[in-house]
Amino acid sequence: MRDRNIFLIVLAFVVIGPFVQPKVIITEMLIFGIVAVANNIMIGYTGMLSFGQAMFFGIGAYVAGLLLKAGMPLIVALPVGTLFVLVLSIAVGYFCVQRTGLYFICITFAFNQMFYFIAYSWTGLTGGEDGLPGIPRPSLLLDPVAFYVFVAVVFLACLVAMKRIVDSPLGLICQTIRENPSRAAAVGYNVKLYKLTAFTIASTFTGLAGTVYAMLYGIVPIDQIHWLKSGDFIFMTLLGGTGNFFGPIMGAVGYIWMSETFSLYWARWPLIMGIVFVVVVLYLRGGIVELIGKVYGSIQRAREAP
Amino acid sequence: MAGLLECHALSKNFDAVAAVVDVNLEVTEGSVHSIIGPNGAGKTTFFNLISGEVPPTAGRVYFKGRDITGLPSHQIPHVGIARCFQRTNIFPKLTVFENVWVAMFSRSNSGALDFIKRVSDFGEIGDKTREIISELGLEEKLTERAETLSHGQQRALEVAIALAGAPTLILLDEPTQGLAPEATQQMTQLIQRLAGRYTILLIEHKMHVVMAISHWISVMHFGQIIAEGGPDEIRQNEAVQKAYLGGRR
Repeated sequence: MRDRNIFLIVLAFVVIGPFVQPKVIITEMLIFGIVAVANNIMIGYTGMLSFGQAMFFGIGAYVAGLLLKAGMPLIVALPVGTLFVLVLSIAVGYFCVQRTGLYFICITFAFNQMFYFIAYSWTGLTGGEDGLPGIPRPSLLLDPVAFYVFVAVVFLACLVAMKRIVDSPLGLICQTIRENPSRAAAVGYNVKLYKLTAFTIASTFTGLAGTVYAMLYGIVPIDQIHWLKSGDFIFMTLLGGTGNFFGPIMGAVGYIWMSETFSLYWARWPLIMGIVFVVVVLYLRGGIVELIGKVYGSIQRAREAP
Repeated sequence: MAGLLECHALSKNFDAVAAVVDVNLEVTEGSVHSIIGPNGAGKTTFFNLISGEVPPTAGRVYFKGRDITGLPSHQIPHVGIARCFQRTNIFPKLTVFENVWVAMFSRSNSGALDFIKRVSDFGEIGDKTREIISELGLEEKLTERAETLSHGQQRALEVAIALAGAPTLILLDEPTQGLAPEATQQMTQLIQRLAGRYTILLIEHKMHVVMAISHWISVMHFGQIIAEGGPDEIRQNEAVQKAYLGGRR
């Protein structure tokens, strides 16, 4: 399918979604949609699996939340929170990209744990275990519809920006690094530098999503910076499908829909999510995108058959 | 100025193993210079020292009079040296076009501003990419994934990637390896066509190929250069015959 058509489907979802499901759920889907697409710039395009994206999501949320609580306007809080994550992700990423594969994963994980415990222990600033409550929304966004529109605009803007990034030479260079890093170096690309760039871009968009999240419920729970959240982000990305730019959006939507639905019926719902994850990893490596392709293909074949 | 590429007393030890020993080598601009020698003679390691994959234990490498010893591998293309690998080394999931385009962009982008454009916005780089692909006879495979190509076509793609970097010197590591006789002949003709435009340093095992296209041959054995000369000289050389027939050092 052409990118333009997929974009129109996404747009239709953004418009129709709030009429079908509670606004707050769709809002959450869009926020985590940004995270999942950003995560895929690393996983799908560059071939880097970070187990530390929750630290950037959480820190973006904390910084924006604290600024909003201090009475700063939205126009300051969100950019400053995002910029903070940008700078931090360059610093953290610099150490992470020195290693590849399993070691890269371990370093991102370790950093995530480190920032989690900072947030956990620094109760005076972050509220520790209780989370950071009482984050005000600007008066303009108090209305749920207004807030939804705001999040939808941020989501679509992020999507356009990230699409532009992966369509640029940078996107192609990232893919050469995924395919064959030593060859990418041999044609003249500084592999570590481009990995750091991909890491920073993905993390910054994740942080931006975090700043918006801070206003959704007016609280930043500590588990938003926990490594389990990083695992959820990876799950969303893989569930949607890493082979397509838009795939992870479906992953985020599917993940949140499943967790909302299953949790109504059974307190042990994460168990079902675990089973879904195993099935996806074993039988559906291309995620929901692959599933749709298969179903579409078999319908096509059934039609052609007399 | 003397040679385009000059190696002075280049050595590489892997722990106790001396892979390359005190090699002095000069590549004349515009020539096809072959390095031959039995398996394990240190030829590929020698290439790795030039292209920055491995730092040398001792010695220096000069290119166009500039000391490039120990330069990281990603900077080597930017001084004008391109490399083809012994094992086919391409980007399997990318198309043929993308494989070559990305190598060309590496050398011809005009800075940070080029990174915010779309890949499809670069008319000139796209045209030149297609030109190189056509020259290598892969124009019908332009939008195919590289992994779907035959072995011979992948070897050709490998050369296309090297040419895309607009090099002065090309390091070719056994370009005919694993090729059928007909494909070997095509590759040989290709190297001859390139010979006028580029300086070529070649590792090759097939003697008839080496003898047909080389201006100068260096023979490597146990990490050392044991003989040098034109094809006729090398054919007559006693030390070379000994090395190939299993003679001891």
